[in-house]
Order: sequence, then C-alpha cells, then structure tokens
Amino acid sequence: MSAAPSTAPLLDVRNVEKTFPGVRALTGVSFDVRAGEVHALLGENGAGKSTLIKIVSGVYQPDAGEILIDGRATRFASPEDAKRAGVATIYQELLLFPELTVAENIFLGHAPRAGGGRIDWRVMRAKAEALLASLEINDLAADQIVGALSVGHRQRVEILRALSHDARILIMDEPTAALTEGDVTRLFDIVGRLKARGVGIVYISHRLDELFEIADRVTVLRDGAYVGSRQVADTNAAELVQMMVGRRIENLFPKFAVPIGGPVLEARGLVCHPMTKDVSLTVRAGEIVGLAGLVGSGRSELAQVLFGITPAEHGDIQLAGKAVQIDSPERARARGIAYVPEDRGVQGLVRPMSVLHNFSLAALGALSRLGFIDRAAERRMAEAGVQRFSVKTSSVDEVAGRLSGGNQQKIVLGKWLANNPKLLILDEPTRGIDVGAKAEIHRLMCELAGEGVAILMISSELPEVLGMSDRVLVMREGRLVAEFDREHATSEAVGAAMMGSDATMERAA
Amino acid sequence: MSIATDTAARGAPWWLKRHETLLAIILILALIGLGAFNNRFLTVDNLLNQGRLMTEIGLIALPMTFIIITGGIDLSVGATVGLSAVMLGYSWKTFGFPMPLAIVFALFIGGLAGFVNGFVITRIKVPPLIMTIATLALYRGLAEGVSQAHSVRGYPEWFYVLGQGDIFGVPTQLLILIVLIVIAGVALDRTTFGRALYAIGSNETAARFSALNVDRTKLIIYTLSGLASGLAAVVLVSRVTTTRMDMGMGYELDVIAAVVLGGTSIFGGSGTIWGTVIGLVMIQLLKNGLALTGVKGDATIVVIGVALILSVLIASSLQRRRE
Amino acid sequence: MSAIPITSAAGPRGGVLRRFASQEALLAVAVIGLAVIVGFVNPRFLAYRNLADILLGNAYIAIAAIGMSMVIVSGNIDISVGALIGVLATVSGSLAVAGAPTAVTWLAPLVLGVAVMAAQGVVVAYLRIPAIVVTLGMLSILKGGLISVTGGKWITDLPQSFHLADLNVLGVPMPVVIMVAATVLAALRMRYSPSGRAVYATGGNAEAARLCGVNPQRTVVMVFAIHGLFAGLATLVYATQLRVIQSTTPSGLELTIITASVVGGVSILGGVGTVVGSTLAAILIAEITSALVFINVSPYWTDALRGGLILVTVIADILRRQRRAARGWKK
Repeated sequence: MSAAPSTAPLLDVRNVEKTFPGVRALTGVSFDVRAGEVHALLGENGAGKSTLIKIVSGVYQPDAGEILIDGRATRFASPEDAKRAGVATIYQELLLFPELTVAENIFLGHAPRAGGGRIDWRVMRAKAEALLASLEINDLAADQIVGALSVGHRQRVEILRALSHDARILIMDEPTAALTEGDVTRLFDIVGRLKARGVGIVYISHRLDELFEIADRVTVLRDGAYVGSRQVADTNAAELVQMMVGRRIENLFPKFAVPIGGPVLEARGLVCHPMTKDVSLTVRAGEIVGLAGLVGSGRSELAQVLFGITPAEHGDIQLAGKAVQIDSPERARARGIAYVPEDRGVQGLVRPMSVLHNFSLAALGALSRLGFIDRAAERRMAEAGVQRFSVKTSSVDEVAGRLSGGNQQKIVLGKWLANNPKLLILDEPTRGIDVGAKAEIHRLMCELAGEGVAILMISSELPEVLGMSDRVLVMREGRLVAEFDREHATSEAVGAAMMGSDATMERAA
Repeated sequence: MSIATDTAARGAPWWLKRHETLLAIILILALIGLGAFNNRFLTVDNLLNQGRLMTEIGLIALPMTFIIITGGIDLSVGATVGLSAVMLGYSWKTFGFPMPLAIVFALFIGGLAGFVNGFVITRIKVPPLIMTIATLALYRGLAEGVSQAHSVRGYPEWFYVLGQGDIFGVPTQLLILIVLIVIAGVALDRTTFGRALYAIGSNETAARFSALNVDRTKLIIYTLSGLASGLAAVVLVSRVTTTRMDMGMGYELDVIAAVVLGGTSIFGGSGTIWGTVIGLVMIQLLKNGLALTGVKGDATIVVIGVALILSVLIASSLQRRRE
Repeated sequence: MSAIPITSAAGPRGGVLRRFASQEALLAVAVIGLAVIVGFVNPRFLAYRNLADILLGNAYIAIAAIGMSMVIVSGNIDISVGALIGVLATVSGSLAVAGAPTAVTWLAPLVLGVAVMAAQGVVVAYLRIPAIVVTLGMLSILKGGLISVTGGKWITDLPQSFHLADLNVLGVPMPVVIMVAATVLAALRMRYSPSGRAVYATGGNAEAARLCGVNPQRTVVMVFAIHGLFAGLATLVYATQLRVIQSTTPSGLELTIITASVVGGVSILGGVGTVVGSTLAAILIAEITSALVFINVSPYWTDALRGGLILVTVIADILRRQRRAARGWKK
C-alpha cells in the first residue's frame, strides 16, 4: 500500500554511512517509512540493523547521508531530538522501571502537572487508562506494578509510552522474540490499530512468517549494505532468505569426506524451561551436524543445556554410550564437551585479560599440578595456539580485547580445543568474521572431524550450514522439526523447515 | 601477574612498568623521609614493633584482596573480629573450654561467619555490599549480646606468646603473617584458584562459560575472610591480653584502604598480594609517623580516610585515561 | 474482561483501600500491636512518660532516616551520617557556648550538613566512585577529625536558648513536630514532585531514566544534599535535647538509620520505598529497644536484633524480587 506520490514519507533515510574503529557498520543505506505502513527490516545479526536504528533514534550520528522527517532534512544530535521529532524506539531489553506503576512508567519525565507544579496522579491515571482503552487493552490496569507483569504486558507498556509522546514513527526491535503466541496475536492487533492511526512502523524481526502477516514492505540489509526492498505481496520467503544470506560461495567450505564413527552424544527428550521442549539428537564421531533455525528457535538454549549452564529438567544424555548427568559446565568439560558461545565478548572472552590467559582459561586443570599452573607449559600452549590458528597478535601478552573479531574467535575456539574435547558445540562460529578467518575456521572444523571429534554447529548462515554439515537439523520454537542428510539438504527445504513448511499461520488472529 | 597492567610495553623491563614498583619507590622514599625526620623511627625495635602492630589488619587484608579482585567487598570483617574475640573469651571462661580448644572455636566462628556471607551471596544472590553491611550489624550485635559488655581477662600465660612474644627476635604474629603473605601471594599468582579470581572479576559470565566454578570460588574467599578475621581476633586478644566486645571496630577501613592503596582496583579484575603488602606497610607507616610527631591515635583515621578516597580517585582516573 | 476496579486516588499506587496491604500499614499495626503485647506483660511500658521518651528520644533517627531512604532509593548508600551528626552536634554546641546567636547555632548544622553530603554526592555521581568507598572514607575523616580537634571534650554550659527541643508547638514537643513535618513534607515531595520521582527512576533503572529525560547525576547530588539537610535537622533535634554534648559520634547510629529505612520498605537495590515507612520503622525499632528493657531482656541484645532485622529484611526483599521476575516469565 503506497501513499499518494505527493506525500513525503514520515521518515526517509538516504545513503547513510557509519564507521566504527575497525568496522564499517553501514555503507550507503537508504530506507523510508510512510504513514500507516509497516516496513520490515531484515538481515542477519551484524548486518547493520541495530546501527541503522540507533542512528534514526538519535543515539549515533551518521558519518554521511541524510535523515528527513516529513521531507525536511533533520539532524538528531541526541535521543531527545529524535523523540521530539516523533521517533520512538522499543528495544529488545525493555527500558522500564520495575518498581513503578504502569501509568508512571508511561509518563515518567513528562507527567501531567497540577497547580504548583506538582504531579497530578489523577490525570495521569486517567490518561493512562485512555491510552489503554485506545488500543483496547483490557487486562492491564494503570496502577499495576510493572515488575510483576509478563513480558507481553511490559511490551505493551512500552508501546503506550511511545504513544504518550505522540510518536509518529515507531521502531520495534525484535518485538516477538520473548513473547508467547497469544501475546504475538495481541501485538499484531495493536500494530493494526497503530497503522490505522497513521503511525509508521519499522519492524525488525527474523521471523519471516510474521513479516508476511504484518508488513507492507521489507528491506534487506547484508554486511552493512542495502541489498534491496520489496513489497511483501510481491515476494516470498525463499527470495528474502536468498537476499539475506546469499553470498558468493567461493570455496569457503573445503569439506572433505571423513569416516564417521559411533555416536558420541545421544540426547533423548531434553526439556528445559522455557526454550527447550523435548529435543532428541545424536552426533557421531567425525560428524558435523548443522543446527539451523531462525533466531529465537532455541538453538543456543539447547547448547547451554548440553553444556550444563542451564541443566536439563527432564531427559537424558549419553556420552559414548554411558549415561551422564550434565549439571554444570565443569561436569560437561570433564566429560569432554566444549562450547564456543554465541556472544564472543560477553560469554567467550575475558577481554581485559591477555591472549595467554584467555587461551588457558578452560584448560587450567590440565595445565597445573596440585593447583599450580605450569607457566612454561601454559605459554607453550598459547604460542602453539597462536601459531596453529594464525592469530594475529604482537605477542601472547597482548590484551585480548584489542584483537579483531576473527582473532578473538580463534582464541575462544583454541581455548576449548586445548582440552581435546570429544564433542565440540559451536554457536555461530563465524559470525562477524572476515572471509579469510572464516575459511580457516572451516578448515579447522574439517580437520577436527577427521580426528574423530563430534561437532554440533549452530549457524544462521544457510550456505555455511549446507556446505559444512553431514546432517542438518532444524529447530523451531524449541523443538527439532526436521532432519536432512547431506544430499537432501537444500536451501529451499531447510529454509522451509526453518520457517514452518506450511504458509498458513499457526496463530489465529 | 597484575592482569590489568598492559605489559606489552616496548623496551623497559617488565618490573619497571608495574604499579607495585611505583608504590614501592614511594614507600622507600617515605621510609627514608620519616627516618630522617625522627631518629626514633628507623630503629630495629620500632620497625619490628610496627610489624607486630600491623599483623591483625594484614591477616584480613589478604583474603580481602581476593574478594575485591572478584569485584566484591566484605564490610563485616571488623565485626567478625569482635565476634570471634568474644567467642574466644566466652568459650574459655563460660564454657570452660581448654584454651587450645577455645582458640579453635574462635577460628571456627570466624570461618562460619564468613561462610554465611559466602553462602547467601552465592545462593541467594544478595549483593556482597549489602550482605556484609547486614552481617556487620548482626555480628557486632551478637558480640555485644554474648559478652553482655563484660571483658574477659586472665588467659594462660603461654597464650600471650602469640601476641607479645618473639621467635628469633621477630614478633610471633609477624612470622605467621609473613608465611601467610607468601602463601596468599603464590596462590594468587600461580594457581588456578588465583587465575579464577581475576577471571571472575574481569568477566564473571565468561568465567562461568569457561567452566570455572564461580560459586565455589566465591564461597571459599568469603569463608577465608571470616577465618582471617578469627585469626586476627586471636592475635589481637593475645596482644592486648583482654577480650572486649568492641574489638575490631573500624578494621574494615584499614583493611580496604590497604588493599586499595596497594593498587587493587575497587571495580575488580586486578591487584596483587605484593601490592597489598605495600599498602599495608604504608598505612602502618602513616600511623607510626603521625604518632611519633605527637598526633593522637584518632586523627590517623582521618588520614587513612583521605588516603582511601584519594587512591580510588587516582586509580579510577588513570583507568579512564587508559581507555 | 472488566478492568481491575480502581478507587480514585491521588497517589502512585491507588486508593486508600490499596494502602492497607502496604508496608506502611503493616508497620503501623506492628507498632501498635507490640505496644499492646508488651504492655500486657509489663504495664509500665505503656506509661505516658515511657511512650513519650521513646518518641522524643528517637525522633531524630526517624528524621535522619528520611534522607537516608532517599539515598538508598536512588541506588546508593551512606555510612557516614552517624559521624556527621556527631560533628554537627559538636559544631552547634560549640557555637552556642561561644555565644553565637541562636539562629546561627541552629542553622549551622543544616548548612554544614548539606555541604558535606553534597560534596560526597558529587564524587559519587560525577567521579563515579562507589558510594560505599566515598562514605567509608568520609566516615573516618569526620570521626577522626572530631576527636582530634576536640579531644573528646564534653560541651557543657549550653545556654538555655539553645534547646530547641524543649520548645513545643501547641503543646506538642518540638522533636515530634519536626519529625512529623519533615516526614510529611518529604513524602509529599517524593510523591508529587518530578524531581522526587526522578529519584525513583534513577534508582530503578538509570539508563531508562536518562532516556526519559532525567539527569541521573544531578539527581544523585541533589539526593545527597537533601540527605545532608535532614542529617542537620536530626542533629538539631538530637543535640538540643542534651544538657551535655559529648564530642563523639554515637556508635552504630548509621546502622540504626539504615535499618529504619530498610525495614520501612526501602529496597536496598533502589527504586522503591517511602519515607513514611522509614519513620514508622524508626519508631518501631525504638519501641523494640525499649520493650526489651521492660521484658527484662538485656539491652546488649538490641544491636543483634537490629542486625538480624536488616538481614532478614534484605534477604526477603531479594527473594521477593526474584520470585516476581520468575513469575513474569511464566506467562
């Protein structure tokens, strides 16, 4: 649905560029939103979506390019400027005050005043109730304490807060990531009403099925660049996926056949609230099992169950035929399981520490006798690691946080390989890494498989999954929904399984 | 190794660039200055006596270094000293424990007090600051309640050797302190336990994901803190021959000041035992110097308070500049 | 589905009915209930003289707890207030003995209190030094400074005009008047003024507060300054009741004040709590202390009780938050 040509879009971003030290986050991206439109923004993590959003919300300033509001060029020097221009953002980590009421959360900073400058609680409550009513939200009261509300409710409070500022452009960042199906339906309902009011909505989500239900247009970003825009009615999921992940597949995946041995991991019926619902899988020695799925399908959560960070509530795990209890990462490591986490900076690496100390962090037990670390052995191991993984650093004493993303990832990988694990779980191993480092990591994976290591690889990059895996498992909403062997794993089949093979929505509106 | 120091420097030998070296230089200068100013200062007698006096704070400063490196804090140490001292007297006098058993009991109480801190901090996840303020109040109150403000005197003579005696001319408790300093320093520097402390203080999440047992480590350090407080209490009672319920009052200031002055960042992730020792000596120097110039005891805490704030300020702005 | 019935009210949490389940109501019940129970065991507890003593002698704690509550709500803490009150009392008394005009002796602690606390607030807010470290250092500076300057000398021969606490307003003793007035004014401010709400926002979620247009740094400095004002006010009530001012800091005062705030419903994690609660809690604690004497429990157990109170309240608060957060996920 396009507006009459003479109407300027509410928000128009033209050729915006943004560079951070060492990384070009956005290169020449353009994007616009019209009144009453839902424009979806699609792209993998690291594609530049959040940078674009932060620029539009006034958190960052673009290095080049323009922002136009109602056709007029504007400059947002701060988030307040953006807010005043009618731009409101609802982030994934909701920014609410848990101890205050719904009404106060909505109106904090601009509460209605009575005589003498004092806050008028009566009017505030009335206005809050009016806002609730305008979106037909009947199960929230203005004086409930936000901290006791479910995520769905809290999100609605955030939306109301945006409306209380007369937002005309609403940006929603992964709004359904933590919602139940019922909440998602309510959300779509609200989005519909907002559309009817002429609010322009920027909708960021990985869930393609949602986009097809609610968005009018979709723009795809990849590696900081604009790939293309489509009217939702004129495209399909396969095309979008191709736009998101399609890369020149230059021999990035030197996969060679490797003898596959007996099962290393056999998991049956794993359950862990709230994201793992009855998962069973097997990984064999020398095998690379790719775990595909959309963001939020529960893959990292499954990995953390297998690694003992959030132990399984039900179900059993067998390692090399022996039943084991994995109730802590220590236990997992002792049994030969290694996990290279998704969030490198927070979960994988201790940035203030040196490369040397990061390399040895998971293998301290092996490197020490009676608790005393053998420093010479530690240094040898780190230097060997730097050599083997081609980590570009001036010395092993360099602070790890100074290295590039690819090199940091190699350290995290290397630290776990020092333990000679039998099962290696990789969570987005090549995200945010340059092509050269990617190829090295893939080569490494094949080598390890050749040595008999069982590898479970979680990845959002379909070509990587398809290229590297002996088998592909697909997860959706906490369950395994499909399994393909190497021959039958095609991007259409896997993509379809990721999104839900039938086009009809399971959620009734 | 002090992790936070960027040792990837060019040219100069590593020990020249470290924080502790700077402190040691300041310390030596201060020693010389004080010695020149007052000829009673640089006598062996005086120095050994200062060593004796600083043991109680020194013992507690060792596990406190561990705790602050992990980004935590323990404000209940002074109260634990008081409680252990009271328990020492109470168990000996009222329960009739033989003295050695009473000593063990006092240590046990200290360890238990620390364990409670560690348990609640790791299991119930109450932040260390808040938990140890609450136990500061509770343990001090228990000390008062159990003792009913009565002092205990008349311990067996041999007991006083610990606090007042010498071995080969060195005060007994100082020897103990030195041994423990070496153990603590080596543990922090060279063991997996020490490495885990730095990791937890720098990035606790990554430490957990690296399969380090964070909770057990924290439990250990808070228990050690309580034990050290108990030991300090025993030494203190032995030194002053009496148990009073207000013992240990204000210790937390001295201990934290020693640790922070020694270069340990209050935000966690860096620090060494050697630095803490230097901080400890500097504080004792301060006290001694002030005393020798006729300043009364109470005024010294003013100086220590200023030193604490200043050193955190300086460390924090240096850190900011480095980023 | 019908909306949850809301009684009209001018307050953040709704009508009078809703307040009955709140911490403040519980405290009020506890105060009265305890008096009844102890009075049953030992009727002399209920003598007017005793009840008046409890109230008058401890009103200053309630007043100081008002400022402390605000500091804790903003997400910080202060352990220097006990020492500060000692210093301010000495300053005030010394001025009185030196012949300064009465108004000056009364204003001095207020002004000085604001100055000292605001300085700490600046260090905490702008230099980003944790409040515990700053106030720990300041505590020593004040405590040690007081002793070394005065040598612990007692201040006697205070002029009659000094004793503000002896005055009364319409028959109500001044300490009570000030306590009630201070509580009411502070409560009104925390509930009705945007800067009061800013304190809750800063303590609840400083990042979100900034995005709402609140300036967390300025809020913290202001909170510390007001805390200093109330500390000065508390000093006035405290010092002007005494015939002799000892130049020492009342021991454990800051702990009692913190306990009053925490038991009064202020969460030690920040973002929630009221000053009415802390005043009631201060009264309750004073009542408990006195009650112990009347039921023949040694007064030396008071502090243990106080410590146990903080511990239990803090743990309960943390557990409550965790349980509430977990429930939020379930739906």
